[in-house]
Amino acid sequence: MSANKTYDAIVIGAGGGGGVVAAVLAEGGMRVLILERGREKTFAEIPRDHLRNHRLSLYGQNFGPDDNAGNPRVTVDGQGRERTVLPYEGGYQNNAMGVGGGTRVYGGQAWRFLPTDFKMASTYGVPEGSSLADWPITYDDLAPYYERAEWEIGVSADSELMAQHWPRQKGYPMPAVPLNSQGRLFRSSARQLGWDVFPVPLLVNSVPYQGRPACIQCQHCVGFACPVEGKNGSQNTMLPRALATGRCHLETEAMVTHIDTDGSGKVTGVTYFDGNGEQHVIKTGVVVCAAGAIETARLLLHSASAQQPNGLGNQGDQVGRHLQGHYYPGVMGLMPEPVWDGIGPGVNTATVRWSHGNEDEHGQVIGGGLLADEFVLLPMMFWLRHLPPDVPRWGAANKQFMRENYRRFVEIKGPTQDIPSPDARVTLATSVKDKWGMPVAQLSGTTHPETVRTAKFMWERAGEWIKASGAVKTWGQPPGLGLSGGQHQAGTCRMGHDPNTSVVDAHGRVHGHENLFVADGSVHVTNGGFNPVLTLMALAFRTAEGVLKQR
Amino acid sequence: MQPENIALTEAHWRTLQALADRIIPQDPDWPSGWQAGVGDYLAHQFERDLRHQVEPYRRGLEALDDEARARTGKPFAELGNAAQDGILVAVERGDVFTNWPDAPAFFAMAIQHVNEGFYSDPNNGGNKASVAWHMIGYIVKG
Repeated sequence: MSANKTYDAIVIGAGGGGGVVAAVLAEGGMRVLILERGREKTFAEIPRDHLRNHRLSLYGQNFGPDDNAGNPRVTVDGQGRERTVLPYEGGYQNNAMGVGGGTRVYGGQAWRFLPTDFKMASTYGVPEGSSLADWPITYDDLAPYYERAEWEIGVSADSELMAQHWPRQKGYPMPAVPLNSQGRLFRSSARQLGWDVFPVPLLVNSVPYQGRPACIQCQHCVGFACPVEGKNGSQNTMLPRALATGRCHLETEAMVTHIDTDGSGKVTGVTYFDGNGEQHVIKTGVVVCAAGAIETARLLLHSASAQQPNGLGNQGDQVGRHLQGHYYPGVMGLMPEPVWDGIGPGVNTATVRWSHGNEDEHGQVIGGGLLADEFVLLPMMFWLRHLPPDVPRWGAANKQFMRENYRRFVEIKGPTQDIPSPDARVTLATSVKDKWGMPVAQLSGTTHPETVRTAKFMWERAGEWIKASGAVKTWGQPPGLGLSGGQHQAGTCRMGHDPNTSVVDAHGRVHGHENLFVADGSVHVTNGGFNPVLTLMALAFRTAEGVLKQR
Repeated sequence: MQPENIALTEAHWRTLQALADRIIPQDPDWPSGWQAGVGDYLAHQFERDLRHQVEPYRRGLEALDDEARARTGKPFAELGNAAQDGILVAVERGDVFTNWPDAPAFFAMAIQHVNEGFYSDPNNGGNKASVAWHMIGYIVKG
């Protein structure tokens, strides 16, 4: 029984950040306990259910939370109306809960943020009402850790074509995943436009790597588990490394409800419920929160003490604020002939030409993002969310459209950099509790309206690209103002030097708590115009190294 | 073959089948929604995720039959395709004669659920032998 042992460190959450931290600490000689609220699941236990997965969760999801009713959240809309939502509902901003976290079922886009992404405020200024800020570290500070993540977890990408955007010491460990027919189409049209493009970097094996096989190019990548372990996540890279040391124990179905501190703010341990519902208090020297931007913020807020009545690290009222994800402007279209060859993962060809330095008719646009083509599309998603508005929703005409156009359909979209707002936030719900009796996360506010403007600019670029590709019909609208988070959730324990405007320092340590760290997307000051997982993994390497050095 | 569910009578199922087969009609090459297994999908879902929608379905299917009788003197399932489509166009617009809770909302709900059965994975009960996926060209290889 883990509770009877002593551990040098406890890692809360076995996802993308937690796996890295556990491996680095255990390999560095520390005795580590990982507490993961979800379960470990085999491929067969993560079904290819087209109505219940992490791409389309109409009635549920295939990788956690497993008990929907026991894990609600509360959303608050612009009029202050509260609503209790379940994990498969949009407002919940679910990622995943289980061993591997989101990395078990992600698409695995392996983006470094660009150097400018770490300097957003000094590059663009801070729009009124926004909490846009620079990171306390630079791209160069993080670059060696990006490299570790790329090599130790495993990324396939084109070192040569990407070098002009991201200065790097060393190439990628594997060549890029081959382009499918849609990827080749968009590569050729982008080059006609004079846009520089390259294959999307992926945490997917293009060749056998670290004892696991190459991707088999299946049609169920993002939102599902890999049938051959050719997709690299915590569960098949860093967590096995951590466990192989013999110094790391992974306890699943273990829900941490409180981080315990003494009068000086030093962390003494955690309180958690095991899978049988039994409560334990366990002592430790170091706690690393890696539960995701929503759950980590919730846990810090709920760990209030007499000395820290507003929650740990929250003296500046920053914990839970600046919640970010990404807006996804996209344009859909039909090609004159079928272009679908079904070769997965499907997201192939990307450009970062519009990541920065953009101008619309009003002047400078803040940030931008990447644009790329799309993963192999589930038929149900095509019917539900991707048909042109003028196609009848029923009858022979609808069936005929589906039949004739699934293989002609293309889409260009990408994550637009969120311009953060302090009002987009996680707080503790006042009346709704989870099955352990802990107040659930309450989500309120929206990103800053500048995000809408940037997203519209990116939507126009997506339209240019898809039209230049020969699409005979295009449709889709730019996104409106809202709260983002979801699988790209970030920002709620932002990194900075000043405890009044940030939660953790430049090494992921929570201000005022010498032995408490955060290693997930929470610490991102801004979230780049990219899928954030490689950045949070790189930061986890850096934070874990700092924990080891401090011993 | 008739899916069984305690809350819906045989008459409800007949109307539902006729409705599903106008939402996704048979054509010379490919089966209708019901032929592809949408009925099995719905029967399964009425005991699972759609258990709270059984009552709205019961009321909606009865209203659809009332609407058909008011217009033609026959229940919906006994009409020809063109007559059924004509009624559904009116229902979609909310242009109804009889007493409906919300005609367009009921129809929109049925459209979505029928298509879920048709286009989702066969383990959900519909899309038998992946027939809908073959129709559109989504082929699962790995």
